[in-house]
Amino acid sequence: MKSTETIPGAPVIPPRPRRSFGKWVRRTGWRHLVAWLAIAFALIPVLWVVSAAFTLRPTISDTNLIPQNPTLENFTTLLNNPDQPYVKWYVNTMLLAAITAVFTVMIAAGAAYAFSRFRFKGRKVGLMFLLLVQMFPQFLALVAIYLIMTQVSDIFPALGLDSLLGLGLIYLGGAMGINAWLIKGFFDTIPMEIDESAKVDGASHGQIFWGVILPLAAPVLAVVGLLSFIFTLNEFIIAKALLQSPDKLTLAVGLQQFIGTKYAENWGPFAAGALLAAIPVVILFLFLQKYIVGGLTQGSVKG
Amino acid sequence: MAELVLTDVDKVYDNGFHAVKDLSIEVTDGEFLVLVGPSGCGKTTALRMIAGLEEITDGTISIGGKVVNEVSPRDRNIAMVFQNYALYPHMTVAENIGFGLALRRDPKAEIREKVDKAGRLLDLTSMLSRRPKQLSGGQRQRVAMGRAIVRDAELFLMDEPLSNLDAKLRVQMRAEIASLQQQLGITTVYVTHDQVEAMTMGHRVAVMRLGELQQIAPPQELYDNPDNVFVAGFIGTPPMTLFHADLTVGADGTRLRVGTQDIVLQGDVAAARPFLAAASGGEIIAGIRAEDIYVQEREGFAPLEISVLLSEALGPSVHVNFLLEGTPVDEGRLGSGLASAAENELNRLGQVSGIEGVAAFPPRMNFPVGSRMTAWIDTARLLFFDVESGRALR
Repeated sequence: MKSTETIPGAPVIPPRPRRSFGKWVRRTGWRHLVAWLAIAFALIPVLWVVSAAFTLRPTISDTNLIPQNPTLENFTTLLNNPDQPYVKWYVNTMLLAAITAVFTVMIAAGAAYAFSRFRFKGRKVGLMFLLLVQMFPQFLALVAIYLIMTQVSDIFPALGLDSLLGLGLIYLGGAMGINAWLIKGFFDTIPMEIDESAKVDGASHGQIFWGVILPLAAPVLAVVGLLSFIFTLNEFIIAKALLQSPDKLTLAVGLQQFIGTKYAENWGPFAAGALLAAIPVVILFLFLQKYIVGGLTQGSVKG
Repeated sequence: MAELVLTDVDKVYDNGFHAVKDLSIEVTDGEFLVLVGPSGCGKTTALRMIAGLEEITDGTISIGGKVVNEVSPRDRNIAMVFQNYALYPHMTVAENIGFGLALRRDPKAEIREKVDKAGRLLDLTSMLSRRPKQLSGGQRQRVAMGRAIVRDAELFLMDEPLSNLDAKLRVQMRAEIASLQQQLGITTVYVTHDQVEAMTMGHRVAVMRLGELQQIAPPQELYDNPDNVFVAGFIGTPPMTLFHADLTVGADGTRLRVGTQDIVLQGDVAAARPFLAAASGGEIIAGIRAEDIYVQEREGFAPLEISVLLSEALGPSVHVNFLLEGTPVDEGRLGSGLASAAENELNRLGQVSGIEGVAAFPPRMNFPVGSRMTAWIDTARLLFFDVESGRALR
């Protein structure tokens, strides 16, 4: 049907003037530009790594974003080198990251519960102390950590130098403060009446913590766990200092050898290794995404 | 089911605030006791001490004959309903109601049976699998009640459970809670600041002020025979009109001088109040309820010149705020904050001082603001209080 038919007597509506292109750019267009820039900024490095992983002997300067002759050669090199046991590093790193993440969440949540719900001597001082300690990056203490670890090695080698367990313990210590603060902030938003109600219902502190508070805090726990996992995956300096045997390295330290020792020759396997390392993080993100949505406490009290 | 006894209970907070002073209350088995008072009077603190959520500084609390001072909340066998319901958001309605039972490790079938029963009782059957987020305020309130009911607790504690509901729902839930309590026969302590809840729900009402128990009595008794000026002014909506008066008991009868006017008590009214003779020649505080002030003369009534400050037609009656020449009762002594609203109104109208009062007149009558009129008070319904202690003269 034609919409331009005129009804007699109806007021004539003048056609809308065409907006000029310049005006569109000023109003809306520039936002598109910013968005596309941001997308390019985020995706080009990823594309480059993907491309490099499938290109034979890529160089930094002349790798195309789309590989000319895709090949799996880099992956076979990566997986079949007995001097550089990539699979072993992979398993090391994933186990270390997973265990560190789980324990970081548990320890930080426990501390946060105490700081949020109990009133005890030294509570405020303790909170401030945690924050203060957090102000300094962990690798400032690298020398001290190294010295301590050499001494620990003498007494209890399983936790000392060149031990993933020891490294994990150091990560746990470093992650405590900020995560306890983060989780405490979330716990503080859960109404005290919920605890009290559970208390009257017959729950012990442990039951309140596990059965009521932790499920409600799932979003923040997911965030803390994820951040901790990624931190462990990326951490280089401390791992580099403490780990020595080739079969005990983490991915960050191990992959660095590809490009650290014979520069430019091994970008291919490096990119392939990095690509494989990213997969668990992506999966974890997808899995935790639904928990990272807040608002779970809605509806407990009047809303 | 059990009786609850508080003996000289004190609560002093760490910052030195004395929230509850020497509170002694006995609640008999199956009784519904309402704790009422203005905010900050210690009623919620008292309830939390009974629940065990707050430590007792001094005195003893016993439930069912057993002193529970050192017993943790979970072992007191009580159920509590909170002002904001405090439902567990991550659990369904059924899980919320059955949480206490699950903690006790009751058999699953038994829990389901009890939850179903409570659901039927509270009309929640169709919502058992929903989460609190999906419920309306009234339904959440009922879930909170259900959580208390299933536990077969010896004692129900309720902390202003209706204050978050809208007016209509509040009226409905008020009746439901009262009848539920009667049905179950569980000893209940109910905290509120709402006059109507206090008057309608409880077997007895305990009025608190600044941490002290003022009076504990059945609602009508509290209304008719308040023990002191505070209770007189606090209980009742609209509040009682209270004023200073000079009392003379002489050969020509018993006279109350208010400002420049005299209220004369007739022979039989005066004869029924022999205690007035002792206070003769001095100042007393007198009080009269709004519904005991009339527009027309009747036998035994005394006239009083008043000027109309404000008239509110409520439907069944017209509430007239009036000003009466004389000395008002000191708000500090009254301590309920009732006079402040009136004072604001006074300042707005640019008038100086006088006695602020309220009368409930018949409907469909016109009382122009600022007009002067003669009101008639039923002298037989006048209440008298000592001017120093504020205690009732009887």
